[in-house]
Amino acid sequence: MHPVVRLVNRNLTVSLNPGFLIWQVVFPLIYIFVVGFAYTSLIESVPFNGGTVGYPAYLATGMIGFNIMNSTLVSGLIIWNDRRHGMFEQIMSGPYTRMQYILANICTVGIIGMASAALIAVVGLPVFLESVEFSPFTVPLVVFAAVVGSVLFGSLASIISTRLNSSEGFNVVINTTFIFLAFSSTAFYPAEGAPEVLGAAFYVNPLTHLVDIIRAGMFGGEMEVIMAEMGALSAIAVTLFVVAAKMMTRLDF
Amino acid sequence: MHSIRADALSKSYGETTAVDRIDLEVESGTAFGFLGSNGAGKSTTIKMLTTLIRPTGGSLDVLGIDALKEPLKVRHRIGVVQQQLCYEPTLSVEKSLTKYGMMWNVPRAESRRRAAQVMHDFGLADLKKKRNEDLSIGQRRRVQVAREFMHDMELLFLDEPTVGLDPSARRSLLDYLRERVAGGLTIFYTTHILSEADYLCDQIAIIQKGRILVCDTPGSLKKSLGRRKTITVHTNSDHDRVSAALAGVPDCAVRTGMGAQVTIQSTDPEQVLAEVLVRLRRNDIKMREISAAAATLEDIFLETVENAPGSTTG
Repeated sequence: MHPVVRLVNRNLTVSLNPGFLIWQVVFPLIYIFVVGFAYTSLIESVPFNGGTVGYPAYLATGMIGFNIMNSTLVSGLIIWNDRRHGMFEQIMSGPYTRMQYILANICTVGIIGMASAALIAVVGLPVFLESVEFSPFTVPLVVFAAVVGSVLFGSLASIISTRLNSSEGFNVVINTTFIFLAFSSTAFYPAEGAPEVLGAAFYVNPLTHLVDIIRAGMFGGEMEVIMAEMGALSAIAVTLFVVAAKMMTRLDF
Repeated sequence: MHSIRADALSKSYGETTAVDRIDLEVESGTAFGFLGSNGAGKSTTIKMLTTLIRPTGGSLDVLGIDALKEPLKVRHRIGVVQQQLCYEPTLSVEKSLTKYGMMWNVPRAESRRRAAQVMHDFGLADLKKKRNEDLSIGQRRRVQVAREFMHDMELLFLDEPTVGLDPSARRSLLDYLRERVAGGLTIFYTTHILSEADYLCDQIAIIQKGRILVCDTPGSLKKSLGRRKTITVHTNSDHDRVSAALAGVPDCAVRTGMGAQVTIQSTDPEQVLAEVLVRLRRNDIKMREISAAAATLEDIFLETVENAPGSTTG
């Protein structure tokens, strides 16, 4: 078995505990089925791609992106736990390189991100089935979003985990960052109508563009815009991955 | 044949020199003890030998491989038990062993067989379903050491592996390690418990302030450095009176215990003792008890470290 595959196997074993799985499934389900339908009285439909989409369908597709991002918390948690419990040093004194360790983390969140996206897509299907316009791009766009989103947010979580040593600091920073990214994006509601400054924040938030790509896969969209978003997200993901890799190589024992 | 050969190995952090041009030769199939006070440079040395950190000077050959050029090749053939406890909190004992085997590419069936074996050898069979986070420190330590025997290796580094172990677990571990050494494994062992090094190691080096002070077999060290013997005389009198009576007698110290206690540490203790007895009798100080002991490895360690150049305790 390749060293990266062995590390991914190990990462999945240590991170897939019942608590995490419940968090990954129950939280989005509450949003899709409770919040989605409860808010319908306030937001009946959302303008999208020249037409409108029902709010539950809009939210359900946003939750796919949100869940991809949320699953990448695992990357930060793996690194942080490995450092805290001495396993980082133990692994590095074994038959592994740092680059293999980083790659394995990204692959792990990629797998969890894909599984999460698939799970939410299946569970949320009844909600957005009516609005979906299946095309040859539907699956590739969702897979692209899962992969690039995992690299991007996984690298971000990795960077945070390499900078913080205390559990309090790590939890505060990573949760604040991810909550800010979640709620200042179009995952939950559209940017139109938001105050100007908040609206601007929506558009510089990578989660907004990730969700745009998923919605384009589901409901269709202007391919030129989507291609530009895909390019921008890929560039950010690669940049963050390089930064994360550099920071990992500088970690002292 | 040597498992480790280091020449002028050094590690500096800016202006601070943690390890200063040390030379080491560790014979294959032996246990090598590496002793030193806190901050002496033991862990930094181990981290260089295990290729975790890169030396700033010198050369290093581990198992015949240039460790500076091919660190990964070295890491494929060694095992490391770190000083700090390291574990995966959410995994059971059995799972953490089999997963560790998988991480070393041990086939699944073989991994299960080895896990059962090491759980038996380290008294972990009753704990196999318990999660690591629910274990005591001593139990976690046993899992950590046992885990390293899940994979094949030629050289094992153990950095204070008995911290947290009770005396019986400690002795069992040392016996286990002795058996493995007899089977051809090379062990590089650091500890603060010098009786462990005495029990296990074929060769001992003492490091202080990043420099190796001595390196020899325990027997030779005791012979060359342990010429000093310790004689203790217990008296019924008080400290001041005994101190006044023994003023000017070389190589003896007066301490307060149950009555004043005179400790003579000398290469010629009989001569000093004769003088002490004369002075005590002259001052009408009664003796309660007298005892003599040959130098232990601990005495030798203390003497070596205290007499090292630049030592503040010497």
